[in-house]
Amino acid sequence: MNYPFWDIPFIGGGILIGLVAIIHTFVSQFAIGGGLFLVLTEIKAYKENNSGIIDYLKIHSRFFILVTLVFGALTGVGIWFTIGLVTPTATSALIHIFVWGWAIEWIFFFIEIAAAMIYYHTWDKINRKTHLTIGWIYFIAAWMSLFVINGILSFMLTPGAWIENRSFWSAFFNPTMLPSLIMRTAVSLALAGLYALLTSSNLKNEDLRKLMVKYSAKWLIVPFFILPLGGLWYVSVIPEMAFDIISGGAPAVTLFAVASIFFSILIFGFAYFLPYRHPERFPVALSALFLLMGLTVTAVSEWVREAIRKPYIIYDYMYSNNVLKVNEENVKQTGVLASAKWTIIDTKTETDTLKIGEQVFKLQCQSCHTVEGYNGVKILVKGWQEPFIDAQLQHLNQLKGFMPPFMGSEMERKALAKWLYELNRSY
Amino acid sequence: MESQVIIPDIDPIPVPAPLWLLKVLLLLTFTLHILAMNVAVGGGFIAAITEFLGKKRNSQNHLELSRSISKMLPPFTAFTITLGVAPLLFLQVLYGNFFYTSTILIAWPWLSIIVIFILAYYGYYLYSFRWEKLNGKRFAVVLISAILLAIIGLIYTQNIVLMLTPEKWKEIYFNNPHGTNLNISDPTVIPRYLHFMVAALAVAGLLVVMWGLKNIKSNEQLGKWGIRYGLLWFIIPTLVNIVVGLWFLISLPKNLLMLFMGENIYATIYFLIALVTMFASLIFMFIALNAVKPVMKIMFGKVFLLLTVVMMVLMRHELREAYLKPYIDWEKVQVEPQWGVITIFVLLLLGGLITVIWMLKKSFGKSSLVVHN
Repeated sequence: MNYPFWDIPFIGGGILIGLVAIIHTFVSQFAIGGGLFLVLTEIKAYKENNSGIIDYLKIHSRFFILVTLVFGALTGVGIWFTIGLVTPTATSALIHIFVWGWAIEWIFFFIEIAAAMIYYHTWDKINRKTHLTIGWIYFIAAWMSLFVINGILSFMLTPGAWIENRSFWSAFFNPTMLPSLIMRTAVSLALAGLYALLTSSNLKNEDLRKLMVKYSAKWLIVPFFILPLGGLWYVSVIPEMAFDIISGGAPAVTLFAVASIFFSILIFGFAYFLPYRHPERFPVALSALFLLMGLTVTAVSEWVREAIRKPYIIYDYMYSNNVLKVNEENVKQTGVLASAKWTIIDTKTETDTLKIGEQVFKLQCQSCHTVEGYNGVKILVKGWQEPFIDAQLQHLNQLKGFMPPFMGSEMERKALAKWLYELNRSY
Repeated sequence: MESQVIIPDIDPIPVPAPLWLLKVLLLLTFTLHILAMNVAVGGGFIAAITEFLGKKRNSQNHLELSRSISKMLPPFTAFTITLGVAPLLFLQVLYGNFFYTSTILIAWPWLSIIVIFILAYYGYYLYSFRWEKLNGKRFAVVLISAILLAIIGLIYTQNIVLMLTPEKWKEIYFNNPHGTNLNISDPTVIPRYLHFMVAALAVAGLLVVMWGLKNIKSNEQLGKWGIRYGLLWFIIPTLVNIVVGLWFLISLPKNLLMLFMGENIYATIYFLIALVTMFASLIFMFIALNAVKPVMKIMFGKVFLLLTVVMMVLMRHELREAYLKPYIDWEKVQVEPQWGVITIFVLLLLGGLITVIWMLKKSFGKSSLVVHN
């Protein structure tokens, strides 16, 4: 309410953030695991004295920089742009708490990009040891940037002691920071394997192809064991409400969480039976399918991670609709229209109840709901009578735990109920 | 209520560093970003025109140069991004309530930057990796990429000006809350933008000069041609930019224009120094144009140019502060420095710089600036 609301009809801002974030996560986590893949595979090639592997790595590293330097880096900026537009209040909070975290992340980002370019350009031009060192620098910088961003991301779900002490360190080393880091690291290793399956299954030399396809599939083994452990740890430390949401409180979320586990098992199972056991019969098309499944897992998992944070955007600090928890009572007393900066409605002079209702919707509900599109309220209240809607509004947070309480005056609540009711009546 | 200007409140969480430190970092990283951007954008246009001239005149020199530029464009584009992230971060912590608001008003054009940038960047990689194979299409590929990058600059300028003019926000937002607005009608936007773009050509011209200097030992004819060609790319745009700069200056609201005419002592001093250093760099480059031994003259020209860029960045900062003066009370901004994390940042920054320099030295030896294939 402090900032103007960017009105995106039908899809809403949440979907937009999700879209950009999923694409970015899928590429940037590959950028991390893929770095380790490059150096370890290069070491393998030198040890086995296999120049075929080096030739493969040259192709793979070109693919790698084209995907990570361009797409990974820019979608990363993209997610930053998007959250600033859709949730400026939360973005501002994260920047104020973590500006030095971001700044440190930026240093690693800079090293990472420089190292990736140099690594790619210096095949056969410098001695092996230096080339490998640059590869290691790349991987360490890339993983460190995950380390920093993961601390900030996990903070949003579990701000931990920060709520009381406002310390940077409490915020960063929050309860889900470590399990989340373990999970993301495991995923990045798995993605390295999935992307490598794509490039290796495309090789022309049959022997090399067999060797590299099998080798790439092995990259999925370690994550297969680490992921469930990280997941269990993660689930054990998330807030109670978040746990309730996953385990049935919101069926869609539960479904997605199950889908995430299901597709993960599918990938690992298939990886064992197909490319690992029978690398000679593994076509490029199938590797593309694997990658697609990987994208699906990324998508549903990130979606679940976002969903379980409700009704907050920063747990116990800021509600999904950008209202600070400390201001809750204040908004209830003054009214949402009077507390909002970006509204043209003057509550003292405005008499049109529907207009007031619509405006209240815009300020209070629109960060999660659209009218007729994604999570559209029109469908949600279909068949509800006006008093029933009003009753729901009075107990939103009790009836639907993942929603913030309604914050506004009685007049505003009644106006919203009327407006919601009229949505379906006007047809 | 109608006439009132709406300014979002500053974040209730204190700023975790002294304001001066954030401003210094903002200006420092912005300067580096602008230099990289100049090569990435200006270099793209120079490559396109060089391709065109090379084909028309069937000139080997032009071809050699455009091939070399093609190798430099992707890394300088990468630097433009990485060095651009930092100032955008410090800008948000200092001026967030202005920046977020103006960005929301032009949300879609702003977001389109990402898509445009990805296309332009892949275009540069295509130009670089497929230089030989593209042959006849090279001119088009690099020109389109350069134009796309230049469009991004135009969106940026619009936002950076819009964030300074909160008196316009209300009308824009309540007419259209969907984020499909532009700020092109502001009379300062076009000259301000062109002032950056024309300078990009000049700075990229200097990279051509350095390319010439590097080649002079192995191929004197090519080296000398490169130096001369690059110097012209520096001199002509810089002369044009004097006019553009004046246009920008007079497009400013009267009270802001007067800042540089004595009203604000810092702004005026920066302006005077900038004028002196700019003319000094022009004169040195002019002399270098016909000199037998141009190395030192070019060296001085470069130093004066760098000083000019720094002065321009400082002037821009004074202008921003003046624009926002009615809306910011720096005294009221709560500051609680996180000295522990700041120390770690500084140490890591030093470590990072050493790492990158080490990698460049190990890989490219002396000519670390130019990436060979």
